[in-house]
Amino acid sequence: MVRFVARRCLQAVPVLVIVSALVFLLIHAAPGGPLAVYLANPNVRPQDIERLRRALGLDRPIWQQYWTWLWAFARGDWGYSFSDGRPVAARILERLPATLELIGASLACAIVLTLPAGIVAAMRRGGWFDRLMTIGAMAGISLPGFWFGLLLQMIFAVGLGWLPSSGRATPGGGDVVDHLQHLVLPTTVLAIVLASGWSRYLRGAMLETLSLPFIVSARARGLPARRVVLRHALRHALGPLLAVVTVDAALLVSGAVVTESVFAWPGLGSLFTEAIARRDYTVLMALLMLSGSAVIVFNIVADFAHAAIDPRIATT
Amino acid sequence: MRRAARRAGLVAAALVPVVFSGCGRRTVTAGPSNDLLIVGYDREPDTLNRFSTHILEDIQTCVVEGLTTTDEQMRVVPLLAIDVPTIKNGDVRLRSDGGMDVVWRLRPGVTWHDGTPFTSSDVQFTVDAINGPSYNPESTDGFDRIASVDTPDPLTAVVHYKEIYAPYDIQFIRGALPKHILQGRDIDRAQDYNRNPLGTGPYHVLEWKSGEYILLERTAHYWRGDAYPRIRRLLFKFVPNTNTRINQLKAGEVHVVALAPWDKYREMAAIPSIVVGRTRGNAYEHITLNERQFVPFADVRVRRALISALDRELYTRTILDGLAPVADGPIQPVSWAYNDRITRYPFDPLKARALLDEAGWKAGADGIRMREGKRLAFTLITQAGYAIRESMAQAIERQLRDVGVDVKVELHDGTAISSIWFEGRFDAMLHWWQMPSDPELTTFFAADRTPPAGRNINYFHDEELTRLLYASDRTVDRAERKALLARAQAIIADAVPEIPLYSVTRLDAVPATLLNFKGNPTNTGIFWNVHEWEIK
Repeated sequence: MVRFVARRCLQAVPVLVIVSALVFLLIHAAPGGPLAVYLANPNVRPQDIERLRRALGLDRPIWQQYWTWLWAFARGDWGYSFSDGRPVAARILERLPATLELIGASLACAIVLTLPAGIVAAMRRGGWFDRLMTIGAMAGISLPGFWFGLLLQMIFAVGLGWLPSSGRATPGGGDVVDHLQHLVLPTTVLAIVLASGWSRYLRGAMLETLSLPFIVSARARGLPARRVVLRHALRHALGPLLAVVTVDAALLVSGAVVTESVFAWPGLGSLFTEAIARRDYTVLMALLMLSGSAVIVFNIVADFAHAAIDPRIATT
Repeated sequence: MRRAARRAGLVAAALVPVVFSGCGRRTVTAGPSNDLLIVGYDREPDTLNRFSTHILEDIQTCVVEGLTTTDEQMRVVPLLAIDVPTIKNGDVRLRSDGGMDVVWRLRPGVTWHDGTPFTSSDVQFTVDAINGPSYNPESTDGFDRIASVDTPDPLTAVVHYKEIYAPYDIQFIRGALPKHILQGRDIDRAQDYNRNPLGTGPYHVLEWKSGEYILLERTAHYWRGDAYPRIRRLLFKFVPNTNTRINQLKAGEVHVVALAPWDKYREMAAIPSIVVGRTRGNAYEHITLNERQFVPFADVRVRRALISALDRELYTRTILDGLAPVADGPIQPVSWAYNDRITRYPFDPLKARALLDEAGWKAGADGIRMREGKRLAFTLITQAGYAIRESMAQAIERQLRDVGVDVKVELHDGTAISSIWFEGRFDAMLHWWQMPSDPELTTFFAADRTPPAGRNINYFHDEELTRLLYASDRTVDRAERKALLARAQAIIADAVPEIPLYSVTRLDAVPATLLNFKGNPTNTGIFWNVHEWEIK
């Protein structure tokens, strides 16, 4: 197992280097740059722009900028933010807890919604529950996240006044209940969107599994229907779902950009939005590397989880 | 596993009533009071160092005060100085070598928040730091024209300019850097100051929670007296999404929304506890016509035809909901330099067609005008995400097509569009300039101030205008300068290097119970008189 992890980590290094080079080129190719934000101020003159360009090291050839960044990054020095001059690592670390909190809550809620929706829809294929879930899932997949979020705000914050419209906590503190109240709306949006897709995967996998010979055999042996479904079929059907869940979870690490923006959630997603708007290259690079690493790590985790579910898959 | 699932279900079920406790309206957020006023702010500042930031300085204004500021009528008024230096009061002296000396007399009894006296050596240190090699402020404009600063006594700073500099009165509008804190330090990396600046203002920073808010608290022993400021704490909540900000206003989670978008005016005005302040601004929306990129714009008849083809009154009545008046030039009525005796161009499509005919542009088979085999067709770029701007671009496209001009609208994100215009890679652009309170037009219209030297992105060239603008920059006497700028405005109105559309009105939603709210037309922002704000 140790060799498996070590091998996968070693394989990840060249992948991350290639990803970093591509991302570096891409963000430098995007129109505008870290200095574009200064241009709207008529008092910022060409000599100011040149001075700031030199100060940020943007006057050097792009390969040199990349090499300097890569070498520093490899040694754990993530550099300083172009927009506020603070260490990039500090900026990311202060936003990470909010994102992990939102991801954790959303994934948990999405799984809680997915399991019954996918299983029951597969067992009652064509029935009213299945049709209802199909309509619900299609709506969940189709709803634009920002629109859904604003709709929930209008109902629960403005209309009923039950929940706060946005933010992570009431400024100046807030107890556990206050935190949970702030978590409800963004979690609902993310969980419903995730569960809509996942429940379709699970339903499909369950339908396929329920027609396999080992399920027919289990039923023929007189096992109770619930046991056949939960112990045998579900275990088999979880594999494909797990792959989707890990990919979605990895992508959420770099932030649920739209949801965080609508709900003013102070996580990595809103940091990502700010960094793009200001072309904050150092923060963008760190966030994208974090996202790339998350995909690799979650894939390794998925392999282990898959092996735990299905012993035929070895992790040696 | 089943037991664990059941337990999780029970915990979840127990949490629901806790979260929705009482199922009544939340009472956590109190209304505006003299204890706390909450401002919904559209972005988090990069830094609170006023000389380094490229974002509006609303929050900084509450903490760090300038020697002068601009009031609700855009007049320059003294703040940490006891008076604004002028030739008349003898504090501005023109030297025979072409330079000038400005004497700043500082208000006695002012201390930094840590109790250290605010003195002329802080002013001197600020100039030295900004002009020095080891600090990178946003702009050194004006400071780089200063040769030196003398400090004959702690309350007098004499600033020696190498040349005459007309906007000297707003040179220190961003205040001063505290010498005793920053001397000998790398200011770019001085996060203790940049995140929590030492100022002389009515508030100091109590807490900055990244991504969430900045909380300001009343300063003890403010120099105006212990009665000020009236409101104990100001909370700036960062809510980047406009719809969310308005929802927060409706839900009472924020009390003030500064610089509110016009398409939300009616929504905000319908909130009973809110008053929407309308301040005539110093910015103007216009169409820049890039003569270098699209050569037909170099013909004044074409430019006059374009402005005559647009019903700008109709735009302000409909798209702008009557909130902003038509603009006729780059200097707005709120400025002391405004000249209203200039050529105006009312909507006249017949005149537009006649001018285009005269310029040799004849209607082609598809109705679009042509000359020497080339169509009169250009691209109009503007920033994506501004509903009003996008509507305006569509109206312009339609009305110009009516006179035979083909316009294609292209939307770009804010950062991308800045580099596009700076590099001159566009035909026409719909945007605004937020003009400084000083009516300095040189960077926008002088012939030698095309990018990268300035913001003349019309690439407009007029010798007389250029001469007048430079003469204005070197004239301190207000009456003389006004006459120069009046002539410059007349030339701009005749030549139409760009098409002014409307004068930007600033909308600020504030509590109906807020006293002494005055607004401000400049980038100084509405918090310039926050010390006297009070909830009745």
